[in-house]
Amino acid sequence: MNWKNVLYLLRVERKSGRLLRGVKTTRYRERGIIAYWPYWVSAIIGISGGLIANFIVTAIYADATASTLLPPLSEATLSFFVSLPTLILILSVVLTMLQQIQLAGLKATKVVNYWLPITWQEHTLASILANLFGLPFATVIAFSFGTIVFAALNGLIFSALITTLALFGAAFMASATTEIVRVLQVRFTGAVYKSSGKAAVWVRFIGTLIFFLAFYIIYFSITQGTTQFIQGLAAAQNAVWFVPFVWLGVTLFYLLNGIVVEGVIFIALSALFITALYYLAIALNRRFGLYEPPAITVQTHGTVYKPKSGILGKLGFSSVEAALIRKDVRSFTRRRELISVFIIPIVFIILPIMQSLNITSNPDAPSQISAFFMGMVFLMPPAFMSMILGNMLIGEEGQAVWRIYASPISPKNLVKSKFFFQILFSVIILFITGTAGIIIYHPSIRIVIVAFLEGLFLILPLGSIGLTFGFKGADFSASRRARMIRQQWSLISLVVCFVAGVGILAPLLPYIINSFLPGFLISIPTSNLNLTISVVISGVIATVISAIFYKININSAAELIRKAEV
Amino acid sequence: MTSTNAVVLRDVTKRYNEIVAVNNINLTIPTGEIFALLGPNGSGKSTTLKMLLSLLQPTAGSINVLGIDVQKDPVAIKKQVGYVPEAPDVYEFLTGLEYLDFIGDIYSIPTAEKQKRINEYLKALQLEGREGDMINSYSDGMKKKISLISAFLHRPKLLILDEPLNALDPRSARIVKDYLFSLKQQGITTILSTHVLEIAEAVCDRIGIMYQGKILALGSMSELRQEASLPSSGLEEIFLKLTGTGDLKPVVEELLK
Repeated sequence: MNWKNVLYLLRVERKSGRLLRGVKTTRYRERGIIAYWPYWVSAIIGISGGLIANFIVTAIYADATASTLLPPLSEATLSFFVSLPTLILILSVVLTMLQQIQLAGLKATKVVNYWLPITWQEHTLASILANLFGLPFATVIAFSFGTIVFAALNGLIFSALITTLALFGAAFMASATTEIVRVLQVRFTGAVYKSSGKAAVWVRFIGTLIFFLAFYIIYFSITQGTTQFIQGLAAAQNAVWFVPFVWLGVTLFYLLNGIVVEGVIFIALSALFITALYYLAIALNRRFGLYEPPAITVQTHGTVYKPKSGILGKLGFSSVEAALIRKDVRSFTRRRELISVFIIPIVFIILPIMQSLNITSNPDAPSQISAFFMGMVFLMPPAFMSMILGNMLIGEEGQAVWRIYASPISPKNLVKSKFFFQILFSVIILFITGTAGIIIYHPSIRIVIVAFLEGLFLILPLGSIGLTFGFKGADFSASRRARMIRQQWSLISLVVCFVAGVGILAPLLPYIINSFLPGFLISIPTSNLNLTISVVISGVIATVISAIFYKININSAAELIRKAEV
Repeated sequence: MTSTNAVVLRDVTKRYNEIVAVNNINLTIPTGEIFALLGPNGSGKSTTLKMLLSLLQPTAGSINVLGIDVQKDPVAIKKQVGYVPEAPDVYEFLTGLEYLDFIGDIYSIPTAEKQKRINEYLKALQLEGREGDMINSYSDGMKKKISLISAFLHRPKLLILDEPLNALDPRSARIVKDYLFSLKQQGITTILSTHVLEIAEAVCDRIGIMYQGKILALGSMSELRQEASLPSSGLEEIFLKLTGTGDLKPVVEELLK
């Protein structure tokens, strides 16, 4: 192991943070020690936290009555220390995974130059340590300083030092786990990256869905119940002592309680497990770290290329429009940075799922909360999807937009194809999230029909409005991260879509109000017939808005193409 | 240890499941030679170059580079090899100077020497003044220059260059060609892969033509002319004849229909 190489690689990895920060690319100067500000700041926060905690605890224990009810200060402190390694482990896993998700969306890469004389051991160690740069490492520093300061003021410095060592071990363990997941992802995505068949598209789509679903369930479980989580951690980790990830916490439990033999055994087990994770990461990196499918392809025997009109042609789309739609479908199923679009429906589904599992809310919560979440599941994902796709679909052309300018594409072709793509994707989402809603909430047939119709009534106009602002704020630059729409236009689009959405749902307001405040609108009878009329009115409003913005979009498309001629 | 042969491949085969990318090739490249590996797309050139750097393991056969078995000590080989990939894959979030500095550190070049060499190369390839900009603001040609400098910086014994002159301006391309000739005088071996046949013809001592994983022809220009029975032809005609893609007239006629 050449430690200098690890250091050099770490420097490069630290600088890769520029990819996320989006610093200016010309005349760039690193600002020396300021570049490390998150760590200095977290140290200061940790020291302050330790001092404040000591002040509060001292005040509580100074009260004679309270001190008789509470466990001795040293016992309470050590119990808290014991829970810290597992807490840091979970936090580090979440934060390092989040960082990987962010990096996955970038155009530039930080994959090591494979022809350099660097061993896989050096590369893997640097990568594991580099995963911790930023918030994960800052969190460990803050906790470490806080622990040491508090312990020093209470005569527990030795315990604090052992705890700090365990915290760094836990962070390394978490980062090694993330590294293993990352390499497996490289292999998985690499295998399908160059592949373009229908199976590959589905593998990518479903793989992304599963990954984000699992990730968000873990994330929300932690963030929604941190207090109970910490309280139960010390006890829980002793109950699941056979799980290697809690061995550092178990080690601390034994050592801080003076049980030396078991403590030493668990130190050895923890060290073994960390080493095993490291070697597994090395083995996976060696095997898959540079995974690249062979460039060679074998032509299917006797195949001769024939242009196909396809189903889109049968639906009445011209060959230009069909080509544009096919291009956008491939773009959204193959480009890494566009995968984030798939997160939107998941975010909206996950909260109600948590609610139904009694994780995020009280089981005694009123039924209106369920109605609210059901509305979210049915309407929000497709509506947001439609708006966001509209916002992105023009800017996502990126530097290749010249192809639009240079090709015989009319403004009508452009708008029709983009609009159809938005509607297609959003309707698919409506059916997926709607099905999830039906499974979770078991609504009546009447509610299901209304919800699906209203979903459609939101998709069409919001898509049209989203596309309007997609044209206005299109951002074709893609030097670091494809932005696709300028931020201010994205915000304006959100506000206009919100107003339009409220307008479309307005005819249903009596029913919504009655659901939350029964009897408030006693004068308006909420019968089935009136509901039908309300839905029809809602549909008319949606159609009018869609038509107006569709017309605006054709003018915007004409302007976009004309601009290129100037 | 010194060796008279920089590269020796013996019965090397590389398979990807049912696809045979490299099919039982034997090749010896003497020290100090400039050798070109030519072939149509998918002929196995890149796979061969990657096996030389131990990035891919051969399915069968042995590869010896600079007297070292590539499977036994890949890092020792990489220390003595300078590589330029076809696509300039460099860390785009680093400035040109930071990247070259990193490369110098990885190859353990002493600081003063590293700075001197970096400045010399930056000046020669007219990158002075842009070294403080991030690489993602560079043009393709500038990225290629950075990639070339990083391959030359540690004074390697073997250079493996994949399309080294792509995107370079004529002045820089000429400098690189002349530099390769000078390195040859110092005993540095160069293996280059290119589709620009004029470059191979002008620069290389010997040329190997690969097709469907095999070396179809190997030798100097005069030997290749002899083998193809085209005594006064250029490399393009020889290449097309040997790879069996020579009769292109019907293809063009089909396109004109």
